[in-house]
Amino acid sequence: MKKTFPLVAAQNMHYEWIRQYGTQQVSGVSVVASLQAPLDFGLLKKCIQLEIKRYGCLRLRFTAPDSDGKIMQYIVPDDSRDIPLKDMTDMTMEQADRIMQQKAYETFDGNDIPMFEFLMVKLPEGYNGFFLHMDHRLIDSCGIVVMINDIMSLYTHYRFGSEYPADLADFESVLESDIAKAANEKRFQKDKKFWDDQLDALGEPLYSDIEGPSVLEASRKKHRKKTLRSADFEKKELMVAVKDYVLEPQAAKGLMDFCMNHQLSMTNLLLLGMRTYLSKVNDGQEDITIENFISRRSTHDEWTSGGSRTIMFPCRTVISADTEFLSAAYEIQNMQNRIYMHSNYDPALIRKEMKKRYGTPDGTRYVSCYLTYQPMPVRMENPFLKDIRQHSKWFANGAATKKMYLTVSHTEDGGMNFSYHYQVASLSEKDMELLYYYMMRILFMGISEPEKTVGQIMKEA
Amino acid sequence: MNREEEFKKIVAQYCKVSPEDMTGEMKFREDLGFSSLDFMSFLGEIEDTFDVELEEESVLKIFTVGEALELLNGMEAA
Repeated sequence: MKKTFPLVAAQNMHYEWIRQYGTQQVSGVSVVASLQAPLDFGLLKKCIQLEIKRYGCLRLRFTAPDSDGKIMQYIVPDDSRDIPLKDMTDMTMEQADRIMQQKAYETFDGNDIPMFEFLMVKLPEGYNGFFLHMDHRLIDSCGIVVMINDIMSLYTHYRFGSEYPADLADFESVLESDIAKAANEKRFQKDKKFWDDQLDALGEPLYSDIEGPSVLEASRKKHRKKTLRSADFEKKELMVAVKDYVLEPQAAKGLMDFCMNHQLSMTNLLLLGMRTYLSKVNDGQEDITIENFISRRSTHDEWTSGGSRTIMFPCRTVISADTEFLSAAYEIQNMQNRIYMHSNYDPALIRKEMKKRYGTPDGTRYVSCYLTYQPMPVRMENPFLKDIRQHSKWFANGAATKKMYLTVSHTEDGGMNFSYHYQVASLSEKDMELLYYYMMRILFMGISEPEKTVGQIMKEA
Repeated sequence: MNREEEFKKIVAQYCKVSPEDMTGEMKFREDLGFSSLDFMSFLGEIEDTFDVELEEESVLKIFTVGEALELLNGMEAA
């Protein structure tokens, strides 16, 4: 009989979205990793197959839902599939990217089936590597980066005789430990108290939209409730578009230096930039909530076990216009640090508690903007490959559960990439342009004059 | 394993320094490479392992391994 486990909070987050939106597409994650060098595809296939053995999370499968819709997960001992090779050398890189983008839209439908697919790829311009498409309940983006590096470490071991990569942590043991932590009643009560205290102190959150207060007003009319504080979210038209902006290395250094000099983390600076913009376009609203994704990878085992650990928590701050920029950044940092300490909690319970307290109508949320700061680049950190040009790219799954989701990462030349994923049902590229433009104006005004108040910055930006 | 050894063993799970090489002067962020998330997760684990409640104000004053250990020992004595 197979050993089954319940889903952990991060997996449940994705599963709830699948149920809510009625498609597994919302849980897809895809990436290509390639090198501008010839590869021994026979060997690469062997390394990918070996990785499937080493990285237990790849062998996860899900049971059929029970009568309450609940599913369980289990690890199959073996998955010795073939890894096909796709030749796209007769195309341009844009065409090849388009083909992989189409793959990224595909879904894994069914129970008790593998939830990932590897393709080895021969790309234009001499790039060779592999494309991976899988379900986010198996792995998050940090886990994918670790896996890509592990595959290439196996490859360079067999190809060039580099050291055999260290064992990865046992996925099943880490999963069991996570489940045990979540079941620790004392820890649970502490975490619950932290989140409940926040609601006790601040009351019901207030929705803020990048389109301004009209969105909340429309929901108030729809629900015939003038005091409604949450707004409807799109459930049907999930098509997403992506707009990337690159901040050049010198400017990115300015942000990083500011963080270092003031002992701030980049996440908190970005949250401040985003919340100040939301405040600006919502008539100076002081109570702003942004959902921020946390990787929940700190120990060695957590880093190398794979799995889906990344989870979002609401970062809610009430910051008045007369607060200095730097003080506001510390306020956010203080809140985020406390959230980190209570990040074993299942955020679904926070939403449940709000619904219980405030009767939040179904189909409405308090948040329109989501942030992930991704300090780890999708780059093969391998001394045997360091001088070889790489082409790596994440592909959007094409179905957005969030109105606007910003992923900030670092580029190889020291710049920063701001990747805005937005639902085309209500937002356009112009909205993203404005958001990026004002976020940068706010951030750079703030770091050059940190004693300036956020009110002044909102006015002048 | 005594309390200090157990404490250092937990710290070592979050960094590349072994418990044997860990000294009280080592700073969590600068010397051991802890991020804010690492540090706060670590404190949560300390609370659970040693069954103590860390006060937010005290936590903010911790920079080194020695300070954290001292705080923990103080709580044990209290």
